[in-house]
Amino acid sequence: MGELTTAVHDPDSADSADSADEVVFDLAVMSTRHVNAALRALPAGARAQVVNPAGRHNLAVGLSRAIRVRIAGPAGYYVGGLGAAADVDVDGPAGWGVGENLMSGTVRVRGAASQSAAASAHGGLVVVEGDASLRAGISLKGGRLAVAGDVGRYCAFLAQAGTILVGGDAGEALGDSLYEAVIYVAGRVRGLGTDARVEDLTDADVAAVRALAADAGFDHVDPQNVTRVASARSLYHFDTAQHAAY
Amino acid sequence: MSRYEMMSRYEMMSRYEMMSRYEMMSRDDAIDGSPVHHTFGPPVIAGIRERAELGRYPIRGWGARRAVPDFDDLLLLTASASRYPLEGYRERCDTRTVLGARRAARPVVLDIPITIAGMSFGSLSANAKEALGRAASQVGTSTTTGDGGMTPEERSASRTLVYQCLPSRYGFNPVDLRAADAVEIVLGQGAKPGGGGMLLGQKVGARVAGMRTLPEGVDQRSASRHPDWTGPDDLKIKIEEIREATDWQVPVYVKIGATRVDHDVRLAVAAGADVVVVDGMQGGTGATQDAFIEHTGIPTLAAVRLAADALADLGLTGDVGLIISGGVRTGADVAKALALGADAVSLGVAPLIALGCNAPTYRLPAAGEPAGAGAGIEVDVSAEYTALGTAPGHCTHCHTGACPVGITTQDDALAARLDPALGARRVANYLRALAMETTMLARACGKSDVHRLEPEDLVALTVEAAAMARVPLAGTDWIPGR
Amino acid sequence: MCGIAGLHLKDHALRERLGSMVTGMLRGVAERGPDSAGVAIHDPGGLRVRKDVGDPLAFADRIDLAGQTGLRALAHTRMATESAVTAAHCHPFVAGTAPAADGSPAPPGGMPLDGTELCLVHNGSFANHATIRRRLAAAGVTTETDNDSEVAARYLAARLGAGDDLAAALRRLTATFDGFFTLAVTTADSFAVVRDPIGCKPAIIAETDQWVAMVSEYRALLGLPGLADATVFEPEPEEVYLWAS
Repeated sequence: MGELTTAVHDPDSADSADSADEVVFDLAVMSTRHVNAALRALPAGARAQVVNPAGRHNLAVGLSRAIRVRIAGPAGYYVGGLGAAADVDVDGPAGWGVGENLMSGTVRVRGAASQSAAASAHGGLVVVEGDASLRAGISLKGGRLAVAGDVGRYCAFLAQAGTILVGGDAGEALGDSLYEAVIYVAGRVRGLGTDARVEDLTDADVAAVRALAADAGFDHVDPQNVTRVASARSLYHFDTAQHAAY
Repeated sequence: MSRYEMMSRYEMMSRYEMMSRYEMMSRDDAIDGSPVHHTFGPPVIAGIRERAELGRYPIRGWGARRAVPDFDDLLLLTASASRYPLEGYRERCDTRTVLGARRAARPVVLDIPITIAGMSFGSLSANAKEALGRAASQVGTSTTTGDGGMTPEERSASRTLVYQCLPSRYGFNPVDLRAADAVEIVLGQGAKPGGGGMLLGQKVGARVAGMRTLPEGVDQRSASRHPDWTGPDDLKIKIEEIREATDWQVPVYVKIGATRVDHDVRLAVAAGADVVVVDGMQGGTGATQDAFIEHTGIPTLAAVRLAADALADLGLTGDVGLIISGGVRTGADVAKALALGADAVSLGVAPLIALGCNAPTYRLPAAGEPAGAGAGIEVDVSAEYTALGTAPGHCTHCHTGACPVGITTQDDALAARLDPALGARRVANYLRALAMETTMLARACGKSDVHRLEPEDLVALTVEAAAMARVPLAGTDWIPGR
Repeated sequence: MCGIAGLHLKDHALRERLGSMVTGMLRGVAERGPDSAGVAIHDPGGLRVRKDVGDPLAFADRIDLAGQTGLRALAHTRMATESAVTAAHCHPFVAGTAPAADGSPAPPGGMPLDGTELCLVHNGSFANHATIRRRLAAAGVTTETDNDSEVAARYLAARLGAGDDLAAALRRLTATFDGFFTLAVTTADSFAVVRDPIGCKPAIIAETDQWVAMVSEYRALLGLPGLADATVFEPEPEEVYLWAS
């Protein structure tokens, strides 16, 4: 385990950090475990930068305080996962499961996200400024996912609650086995999954899309001109005519 | 009341009535002197009729009914002249069990090697979960959450609580994760290896639905693969994430349904498991397709030896813990499982029976009697089993949510039939009895610690059991295949 | 159960740098497969295949991977599932594609290599390889190991021997094999990537005017020259991606 490039803020020395101070952790000389422990020790209001991430996995996972973390480069799997209250900003692409099981706060990827972005997120907001690949928003449980570009196949598979906004096109099998989550697609929908259907856009939908686009910082989405995809609810109960479906 | 609730209890039950009635008949029963047909016997005929009516697979609770080689097919070679026994009650026989000491700062330390398996709140009532937690705490062992998250009752009642991370991730959250004493990543279970969870709509009440983020009353069918990883190489990264989120404090278990046990145990270890939980085909469930329960996986007896041998071959015996589950009922089962290489066993159905599952009556504290102190009052519910199309001692109707003794239900009136304190006392008694039986047998084998039982303390009664457990057929030195 | 990487040079002027590029890629997938490693390098002079048990980085040093020249390469790191970790079970799997005099594809997988062989690395697990192995055996195509990935290599080589082009053979493979797979395949003149319909194992492709790289994880791309300007994408399930020189 290496030395810190700058002094780590001592969480015991103060109840809150001066937001002007940014602590820097260098993954070229520190282990992921060391950096995560240091991030978790930061008090609410603190700002941190993690440099030289080099695609490492499990960065900034399990945060529980309202801190701001910038990952200065590509991140691997599960960046910002299992988090609450914090804002994590990845300045590059992210691997599988970015913001997985997020409870609150924000995880923003300034690049592409790999599979299962925002998987099972219960709350908070995951923003992907590039494309998201397969299974984005899988098993979503109340969180919000905004993807500026395209999403791959199986987006929102088994998604239970929450909102997904796709600024580009959606791949095949969108919303397969969907429960109560709602998907809005600004571009083309290549294909719907089992039990997903296109529904009419209501004023409430337009307001939800406008709010989500604003929170995500998307200016290329016209809230009046998106496709709403939600569950037909035909899989909610056993139905003998639907054997091929499950 | 939802449409589903309205159709729920009685209609669902009548569908199972015919099947269950025939299940009570032995295959060998003869009627009017004519022999029972073995290919199309009464249970088969009932099963065909049920499928013809439902247009889908029958669903039920519990584990495999069929007879498979099990721990009853093994015998312990206790001491005589060549080995000396230890005195019961006087000479020491340790049962302390440590799991997950390899990486975790706080390994799981249990007073007995007998734990309670994961069963969800949803499948079980909150009272049942609380009773199991209290019982486990009273005897110094662990209990486990299930496919529905952690309830506050369960957490506060349980000294050592294992938190499951399942494909559905229902109710999974970092706060409960950090409140857990161990994390169990579930890849599968013995009743349905390769299948996802299931909870029929009549048990998805307001609280269960809220915890699982599901609409009330849906026939919940969970995913069979995790949402954010597939395969051991990616599981390795997932386990690291769990460790980071828990600050490397608690052990990470990986639970598998017993199928390709040798490979799967090795891969779980390669992925970083501190403890491998192997659930044999007799392992129970709250609701699963009957075809899954009866026709997949391998018997627990075969699984324990395969798993123990895999760990031994990796040189990790004792470093990576092995918990065996699936049809463990008695202290003799426990002693034999430990002898074959398990560090601990896990029980699901048996503690439910101790709670009162399949009993013709339920008990509540009598008026003015402190809960759990006296015998209480006893109420006969045999007629309710009959209404379900079954009878006490034969019931596997957990999936209906109409449990007459208030264990596998979400109906408030039924759930009130189980008093957590009274139930906890019975389960604790049962677990203590198992521990006493285990130490009794271990002492008779000359062991001062139950973990010193070894395969050489066993022989098999049948060729099948000898082959699976790789111990000699009794009276011979023959191990089939060796 | 592993990490995979493949590199195809469009700009042959990079031939001298192929070894160092692949070394960085292997390092990026080393954690996914700590038990053994292997590489296959296609050069105008022929095909070189090296594989060995042990730490992938030590392996790269031992064979002087960084000093190797070539136009196309595969690399693999393996998480062992068998007690005996052997070189024979390491990827890449190599299968001869030219029909032999007796009609069976030759060579049957052994050395020497003549440069016409097909090489394959696989991340994932097939679910019906035993049946395909039996069908191949009935057709005279034998396997040397019990490894599921070798069956895919033999299958593809047999299809090429039967006249399929590589893209057609890979499409046929995706329709024939069950299970989860990301495959990278090289031949004397081609580089191809294909994934199963569900896409359960990772794959990232980066492409520039000079090269195409496929890796299990993004971090294995770091250090490739011109990455900042590369087109980076994840291959669609079932779609065959193929580059030929």
